Amino acid sequence: MRRLVEFIRSIYVVVLFVLLELAAVSYYARATAYTEARLLARTNSMVGGLNKVVTDIGNFFRLGRENRALTSRIAILEEELARYREADAEGSLKVELRALGESKFRMTEAVVVSNTVGRAHNYITINRGGGDGVTNGMGLVTPDGAIAGYTVDYTEHYAVAVSILNPVFRGSGTPEGTNYQGAIRWDGKNPHFVILEGLSKYADPQPGQKILSTGFESYFPAGFLIGTVESAMLDEVGTTYTVRVRLAADLSAMDNLIVIENLDQQEVSELQQSEVIKNLEMN
Amino acid sequence: MHHVPAYILLFVILSLTQIFLLNNLIAGSFLCPLIYVAFLVLLRLDTQPIVMLACGLAMGVLMDITMGVAGINTIASLLIAFLRPSIIRLVSPHEELREDGVPSPERMGSALFWSYLVVMVVLHHTVFFTLEALSWGHILRTLLRIVLSSGATILLVWLTGRLFTAKISARA
Repeated sequence: MRRLVEFIRSIYVVVLFVLLELAAVSYYARATAYTEARLLARTNSMVGGLNKVVTDIGNFFRLGRENRALTSRIAILEEELARYREADAEGSLKVELRALGESKFRMTEAVVVSNTVGRAHNYITINRGGGDGVTNGMGLVTPDGAIAGYTVDYTEHYAVAVSILNPVFRGSGTPEGTNYQGAIRWDGKNPHFVILEGLSKYADPQPGQKILSTGFESYFPAGFLIGTVESAMLDEVGTTYTVRVRLAADLSAMDNLIVIENLDQQEVSELQQSEVIKNLEMN
Repeated sequence: MHHVPAYILLFVILSLTQIFLLNNLIAGSFLCPLIYVAFLVLLRLDTQPIVMLACGLAMGVLMDITMGVAGINTIASLLIAFLRPSIIRLVSPHEELREDGVPSPERMGSALFWSYLVVMVVLHHTVFFTLEALSWGHILRTLLRIVLSSGATILLVWLTGRLFTAKISARA
């Protein structure tokens, strides 16, 4: 027994190293992308304040560019609004237009606190959290309406979103002017491109054609810009296209984002998990 | 023991630089320098293995928490902290070279110091980026990230070493 103790004492550094390394490896092996998001969200309460100072200083110097972008965005929106007003005056009894007035989506602006594009799993941290009404599953778009990610965890003042540059990002896209859709996925290679998979061979995507959100995921309303077709390839069997999409959002230069809240989301998910549906699945 | 405050300062400065500067620096997806490795490289040559391990653990865990990556920094840092005495023994066959002091080109000789630095950083980055990529699918891409980031880190560590040793000798 004593010799055993002696032996262990002589190699305790090795033993300690092996034990610590095993603990770290097992934590790593059990971790998922969501563990990482949670880790980031918690840390942000800690370093978030300091990070914000750094971001604020950076933002100050970008105000000029930001202003120009906002002004041009406002101009476009004003134009759109004018069109609706006109249509409203013409056909105030039309049902579709009344529905427009009570949109189920609510938008809030947020400032990017930290953001990566170079990692295998990329996350965006914003300065809006539970206290501002931001919860999980809310879409993030750039001020010019390009999709950037959706939230997966939040604390009182901050929220963390999976960026579109994250393999766990789930989304779907449709070429503008068609009803065909495919799944959006990042292949982890280039922060300016994503892949649109499983698009029907009849969709016939053309380079430069816009890829828009479908509205199926409830994070984003339909019609938000994802990117433009760079190249398309038919698979061996000739049934689906795999499309390389150039992202509309420059993920490496984001300062402000718009958070999209789907007011009906809870109602939809409650409905999807209702007793009737569960009973159907059981039978 | 009187070196401890200098090393605490080094720890704080390196972690702040990593967290607030380098982690926010976006210079293409291939260049992710990890300057915090400098702390483990610059610990004194006579540091006890157990202290090395504790330093590796502390730095690794702090970096994991702040970067939001689960365990990768800890795994890589513990490994180089544990292997450091063997690496030094490997690159410098002469007993007197590894007796005491901060590792530097003057103390170890230029060739020995650089091979020590390169082995430490490349080993750390290989483990880090391989685990981060999680698959052999992007092997070329991962290799390129290891090479470019290691290059950047090596330069940063060398620079840190210059500043750190200049400060120590000015004080002594």
